[in-house]
Amino acid sequence: MKTLFSRHVSSKLLPLIDGELSPREAQQVQAHLTTCTRCRVDYEKVRSAIAALDELQTAHAPDSIWAAIEAAHTPQTAPASVGSFRWAYGFAAAVAVILVAAVVWHFAGRTDARWEVRRIEGSPAIAARHIGDVASARAGEWIETDSASRAAVQVGNIGSVELSPNTRLRIVTARADEHRLALARGEIRASISAPPRLFFVDTPAGTAIDLGCEYVLNSDEEGNGLLRVTRGWVAFEWKGIESLVPAGASCPMRSRSVPGIPYFDDASDRLKQALADFLSGNVKGNPLDVVLSESRTRDTLTLWHLLSRVDPGGRERVYDRMAALAGVPAGVSREAVLRLDTETLARWREELAWKW
Amino acid sequence: MWRLIFFMSLVPTIAAAETFTFALGNPVASQDFRVKTAVFVFRTEGCEPTHARVDAIAEGLVNGVRRSVDVKLAETAKPGVYAVYPVWGPVGDWVVNLRGACDGASAGAVVPMGPSGFIRESARFFPRLASAAEVDAALQALSQGRQK
Repeated sequence: MKTLFSRHVSSKLLPLIDGELSPREAQQVQAHLTTCTRCRVDYEKVRSAIAALDELQTAHAPDSIWAAIEAAHTPQTAPASVGSFRWAYGFAAAVAVILVAAVVWHFAGRTDARWEVRRIEGSPAIAARHIGDVASARAGEWIETDSASRAAVQVGNIGSVELSPNTRLRIVTARADEHRLALARGEIRASISAPPRLFFVDTPAGTAIDLGCEYVLNSDEEGNGLLRVTRGWVAFEWKGIESLVPAGASCPMRSRSVPGIPYFDDASDRLKQALADFLSGNVKGNPLDVVLSESRTRDTLTLWHLLSRVDPGGRERVYDRMAALAGVPAGVSREAVLRLDTETLARWREELAWKW
Repeated sequence: MWRLIFFMSLVPTIAAAETFTFALGNPVASQDFRVKTAVFVFRTEGCEPTHARVDAIAEGLVNGVRRSVDVKLAETAKPGVYAVYPVWGPVGDWVVNLRGACDGASAGAVVPMGPSGFIRESARFFPRLASAAEVDAALQALSQGRQK
């Protein structure tokens, strides 16, 4: 015979949490929870919901609302106060809507989704606990590999991220509208198939923003590292300054500094070295001269990024070199480029991309 | 005299008219994340995109045997921009023969494929469809280049 407590106890969970069950009933519900996964999940949900409600801050209604409510309850309310009552009613309704929205937002924003973590090699760990072949991790948890281990994280249903040895990675947000990781150190290989700007990786030097791509990202604990894109595009952003890195190109990342300037991996070593010198402020050897003279047509990727990083005199030289290498399309004028008009630059980049 | 004036009046128009042709690019050029795994993208130039009709055939030389495979072009978010996905295997030498027609004009391009994508520098463009001999020549050049 089935007893009451061999069945699910969902209806008893709220009274249990509120302490409204008798000691015997409470004991029976708790005994059931130790054996029933489904009810334990329900219990956690109810508990989380109550905790979320507790976190909502009390908002004080304006004094005028009380006058309106009192007026509404007074029989000899003048017709003029009907408007106030309506206003108060509207205000109360608005507060209710805001409360409901806050709760919905709070739960939508909760990152309870768990992402599968698969061991590839060695013994990776989640939250400092070594895992077997397959485990799962949720927002807030660190995934770590040592010098002999590798792991793969299934990023929701949009792709995967592989962790190389000696990598420390945290799941920051695991929502359908935002998949965000934080790379503290090491190297990850991301393969994402999703609309742009759904997948982000924070590093100490900035954020890699997926624009539909596959890439390798490595970083030391300071944030120095390299972003290398193998398919699609990635934007690397730091304090509103963005570098756009297409497939076949790399972008250095520098600790506490503006993002590096992307270059194609097949660019000349002289160009890469000159670019590094330019960014580090080492003007010996006239690095801008070298970059300009070493640039091929597809290196207009690098030159396009340089436009906004050089002084006005240098900008004119960069523009002239770009115009000589790739031409200037309709809708792009020298004057607009030199004053860094955003739309003009975007228009030119879109056209240049056909040569990248 | 009048004929000369009439002809001279046409010169700017003729000069301004763009030739119908193709432009090739890496998938990023399409600005469409969905085609990131394409081997390359192309667009029509000198033609109203809605007027253009395009198709492509992969032509291969596999162990000395000529092969032809129809390529299904994927339209991207931008009109007149198409993505080409590989329908050929890893064995042999392959070129993609692009063919287009627009308002009575024709255009062709033969695009050689390398181990890591299309070889932009070796692509050839024609103000007409490429002939069988031109396709064969491109395949031979590719094969010889690989054997060097």
